[in-house]
Amino acid sequence: MSNLEDREVAKAADALRVGNAQTVRVYDVPVVVDLAKCITGCRICIDSCPVDCLAVNPETKKAHMRHDECWYCLACEIDCPKDAITVKIPFLVR
Amino acid sequence: MNVAVTQAEVLVVGGGSAGATAAIRAQQDLPPGRVVLLEKAHLKRSGAIAIGMDGLNNAIVPGHATPEQYVKEITTANDGIVDQRAVLAYATRSFEMLQQLDRWGVKFQKTESGDFDVKKVHHQGRYVLPMPEGYDLKKILTRLIKRAGVQVHNRFAATRVLLDRGRVAGVIGVDVRTGEVSVIRAKAVILCCGASGRLGLPASGYLYGTYENPSNAGDGYSMAYHAGAELTGIECFQINPLIKDYNGPACAYVTGPLGGHTVNARGDRFIQSDYWSGQMMLEFYRELHSSNGPVYLKLTHLAPETLAEIERVLHRTERPSRGRFHLGRGHEYCADSVEMHISEIGLCSGHSASGVWVNERGETSVPGLYAAGDMACVPHNYLLGALTYGQICAENALVYAAQAEPPVNESDLDDQVATERARILAPLSRPRGVPHHQYEYKVRRLVNDYLQPPKTANRMTVGLEYFERLRGELEEVGATDPHELMRVAECGFIRDCAEMAARASLFRTESRWGLYHHRLDYPEPNDAEWFVHVNLKKGPDGEMLLSKRPIEEYVVPMTRDELSGYQGLRVRGAAENGALEGTVP
Repeated sequence: MSNLEDREVAKAADALRVGNAQTVRVYDVPVVVDLAKCITGCRICIDSCPVDCLAVNPETKKAHMRHDECWYCLACEIDCPKDAITVKIPFLVR
Repeated sequence: MNVAVTQAEVLVVGGGSAGATAAIRAQQDLPPGRVVLLEKAHLKRSGAIAIGMDGLNNAIVPGHATPEQYVKEITTANDGIVDQRAVLAYATRSFEMLQQLDRWGVKFQKTESGDFDVKKVHHQGRYVLPMPEGYDLKKILTRLIKRAGVQVHNRFAATRVLLDRGRVAGVIGVDVRTGEVSVIRAKAVILCCGASGRLGLPASGYLYGTYENPSNAGDGYSMAYHAGAELTGIECFQINPLIKDYNGPACAYVTGPLGGHTVNARGDRFIQSDYWSGQMMLEFYRELHSSNGPVYLKLTHLAPETLAEIERVLHRTERPSRGRFHLGRGHEYCADSVEMHISEIGLCSGHSASGVWVNERGETSVPGLYAAGDMACVPHNYLLGALTYGQICAENALVYAAQAEPPVNESDLDDQVATERARILAPLSRPRGVPHHQYEYKVRRLVNDYLQPPKTANRMTVGLEYFERLRGELEEVGATDPHELMRVAECGFIRDCAEMAARASLFRTESRWGLYHHRLDYPEPNDAEWFVHVNLKKGPDGEMLLSKRPIEEYVVPMTRDELSGYQGLRVRGAAENGALEGTVP
């Protein structure tokens, strides 16, 4: 028992100073890009986004939602010349 | 250290509605490129109205209203705490701005005889002018800025104003795509950075599900504060009636003139006017938290063609994704009333009165620094106020810049740049640090816990301790790219605004502006002590200083009845059933 208490004292102190651990998890986001329609090299939607949440995906060379920070304003969807984007209402809101 | 420097005569920070007219007007009198416009997003979809607006809320059209009537309406709506000269400057110049917009090709609703089709939404006068094709506005302004020859820097986040002996010398910030820190030196700076819209946390819990465009994080409030400018009315929060869960207005301004109105769960009206004021919000709040709640926007009684017209406007302008929100919930206007709720708190003079102190020339209390739009305190100024004050600021900034002396203390400016550059870039040294969204969630959750009205000194004092602690915790937040650097900078702005909101609210020991500053420990207004502005600024040791500023003598005299005209907004006979008054929710 006293051993556990000692351990807790030590861990409580450690918790204040240890570095950070990371996680990787791919999950559902609101802006869905149709890769068949999206034009490689076009950056119109990336320019349009008022919260800068879109970027070129280095793997596909097409636009994707890089940051989960969508205002679902539809600027990207409206401005896309190929109608390649569909914006969903974020799960927490829908 | 090598920091690029751009030279400008007039620098405009923020390319929304106010920034657009400021830049266009300033560039008219200067050689091409001498006006620099910084925009954190991209000009074509920036500001509060990325998708355009569905109407003007405060158009003063001859034959419908006079500037004096408007000044009275806003003085009443803001419980008397206004600098009338600033409101009057808007009122006298805004029709000229409206005509200018009309000539620029912005499509306003007109009658068969070609006159502006003004609607009544306010408690007293008629000021609402629909613009059902308002999505053109951003395109038109963007084209005019480019044509004028303004030097535009998109995706640039300004973070601090540079000063020379207390006067404006320029702005420093970071490119949010490249991460390059650079300086724009200017003789005059016009801040048009929008509201502090990421202050409270929306009930949905989605960080970016805010009423305001989330790119408006209070940047301008924080930059003006650190430059030494006074802010005012910060305790007069922005709280708006919105669709429950969806961050768009249910929109009394569009639906009201077509027959829609706010009702309680029994289907009864309980407020006389849907115009957004603190008094209206207090009645809304009371109904919501009574046995009569929830509150709804009633449209089910309207004809199919009227509903089609409402959808045509509401699902194409301002917040066009609302149609798919309703569809996802399986709700239709013809069969279901729209459940409404109150928004998270924010700071925004466009809707309430919280902002940087400005006079009728758009001048802040710092020489050479101007402010316009949602962040500048001209109460209830809305879109047309932003457009009009952008011009007013530009005209006065041009006069100031023409006689401004060059900075004398270059080494001090170099020090400011070095210090700020290090501050901006520091999060990159902590790539595995606390993620910005967790820090932001924490600040904003604490804002909800401790600052959301009704307010008490006990709760706000506890909140203030957390906001002070969060100043240190900002040093733990990390960034892995320039985009995240911008977000961490915004975390600092949001924290600053939270502290300002707490301190200003604690200082005013009375209740005023309905729900916006409703204090349970001081439930009544106290005109004897608090018929004043509460101003806030950074003290010499970096502490927040608060003071009372007397109200200037009114230029449009008000009778006692006129001043209290917004106090009786509850429909006569509409009972308050089991309201929670006197308890902390």
